[in-house]
Amino acid sequence: MTAVAKLERATLGTRVMELDLVVDAGACVVFVGPNGAGKSTALQLLSGLVPPSAGQATLGGHAATKLSESERAGLVAWLPQRPNVEGLLTGAEVVALARFRHAERPAESLRLAAHFLEAVQAKHLASTRLDAMSGGEVQRVLLAALRAQAAPLLLVDEPANHLDPLAQVQTYRALGELWQKEQATLCLVTHDLRLCRLLGPPDRILVVGFAGGRIVWRFPLDGAELTQALADLYGVPFAPFSTPGGLGIAVDALEGGTS
Amino acid sequence: MTPPSPAVRVLLLALLAILVSALSLWYRLPEHASSFVLWQLRAPRVALGLLAGSQLALVGAAYQTLFRNPLAESSTLGTTAGAALGALLALSLGLEGVGSFAATSVFSFVGAVAASSLVLRVAASSRARLEEVLLAGIAVTLAASALAQAAQALTDPNRLFSASMWGLGQLPQVGFERVTYGLLPLLGATIVLLRHRRALSVMLLGEAWARSLGVPTSRVRLEVLLASCLSVSVVVALCGPIAFVGLIVPHVARPLVRGDATGLLTASALLGATFLTLSDLCARSILPDRELPVGVLTAALGAPLLLWIIVRRPRGPS
Repeated sequence: MTAVAKLERATLGTRVMELDLVVDAGACVVFVGPNGAGKSTALQLLSGLVPPSAGQATLGGHAATKLSESERAGLVAWLPQRPNVEGLLTGAEVVALARFRHAERPAESLRLAAHFLEAVQAKHLASTRLDAMSGGEVQRVLLAALRAQAAPLLLVDEPANHLDPLAQVQTYRALGELWQKEQATLCLVTHDLRLCRLLGPPDRILVVGFAGGRIVWRFPLDGAELTQALADLYGVPFAPFSTPGGLGIAVDALEGGTS
Repeated sequence: MTPPSPAVRVLLLALLAILVSALSLWYRLPEHASSFVLWQLRAPRVALGLLAGSQLALVGAAYQTLFRNPLAESSTLGTTAGAALGALLALSLGLEGVGSFAATSVFSFVGAVAASSLVLRVAASSRARLEEVLLAGIAVTLAASALAQAAQALTDPNRLFSASMWGLGQLPQVGFERVTYGLLPLLGATIVLLRHRRALSVMLLGEAWARSLGVPTSRVRLEVLLASCLSVSVVVALCGPIAFVGLIVPHVARPLVRGDATGLLTASALLGATFLTLSDLCARSILPDRELPVGVLTAALGAPLLLWIIVRRPRGPS
């Protein structure tokens, strides 16, 4: 297997991150850990958009800081969380603009945009303005934009935040399709491992635990040790993978009960 | 009926500019007027109106896209005031005769870049707060005006009159000399601005996302601002500070085109040419026996629009 991205020890500002992470092509890596543990920072380092003051991220065999903007955009795509997009743009225009690195004619981008919107069942949003869409609809347009950029490594930070349950499920299914069918490599930050079941085979999903700017453990999603590792990481009990609602918070087992 | 395609709309806007130019050329032309009046007085005036109007509107559209702010334009962000101060200094120093236009333009450009970089420093330090950028623009404008008044107070009274007439912003001139001087730098600025139309469109998706999509945002911003400063400073050196064209025109152009920057930049340039030429026609024929400087008219139209946009702006986190 070839590595699409590598992170080693890196310093960002005054923060030292102990990240010994190799992301293989076609892998699905899920970052978990309490707030401030360094998950999002690790994702930013992988994106190559935030240069560390020491150490470096390697993307496709090159130092991230040495890549030009368009080279980097050809290696890594990022699904923004609630981006500050100009509301006057339509769904098709947003997806077409995500093709920027391909340097093709705008009319060609727009033609392809229709195809990418269709892939996420959002063809009907092509001429709807973004400020007239629901949160779930915006998310579908963003997922279509992610496909449109067509980079092998996809970085996704808490994609289900602020979405209603149906849109959460749709988002994870769409990401799973990108991983499974389009052979994308996925790096995902989340607190909700239940939804990760929707991505694909659990034994191929690697869960990586973060604490205090370090990677403290790695287990597959269906690994037996994961339940206890999560409980130690977050300080609350989790339901084992094999049980209903597995790897969600085990509310019934909380101290003091549920009522 | 389906709405006309973008190309057809651009053609219609170009046609409108041609019609307004023809109207402005021949409107109330005395029957026995010599060809001198038509070709040495009116034609250069119309040409300058088209040129200056298209540039001011183009820069306004670029600023509104770059700063993601409908109130941004060269006169609200201090660029015009900086350019005017520079040009006024050149006029006060008496840099006339050979190369006077070049000297005025260079001073004007230095003033525009200085003012813009001050405002941009504020913009870079407070990413989210768009209002702060405008407040910085106002502060820079006030400071530049104060310095300009100081310069005027120290100026030789003979030069003061021409300097203060220039300060009102107007188009009259004799011959095409100045138009031709301005043509090359303005063409250069236009090419740079239009070349970045796609990158500017992607930046409508937000700075961070645009970078991850492969847009070199810092370089685009720098080049767009420098080209805008060049454009504004040449226009200011040619006709004095003409405010609010860059604010009014993109607002009229926006509903006519698609949501991305390409349509807005093109339509604004064409509509701006029409708008300033038409405004100048009104300014010269509104009073029976005197001319009004066109800058006074655009300011009188633009200031209420600015207030209207502020009042109508949606509240809340933006």
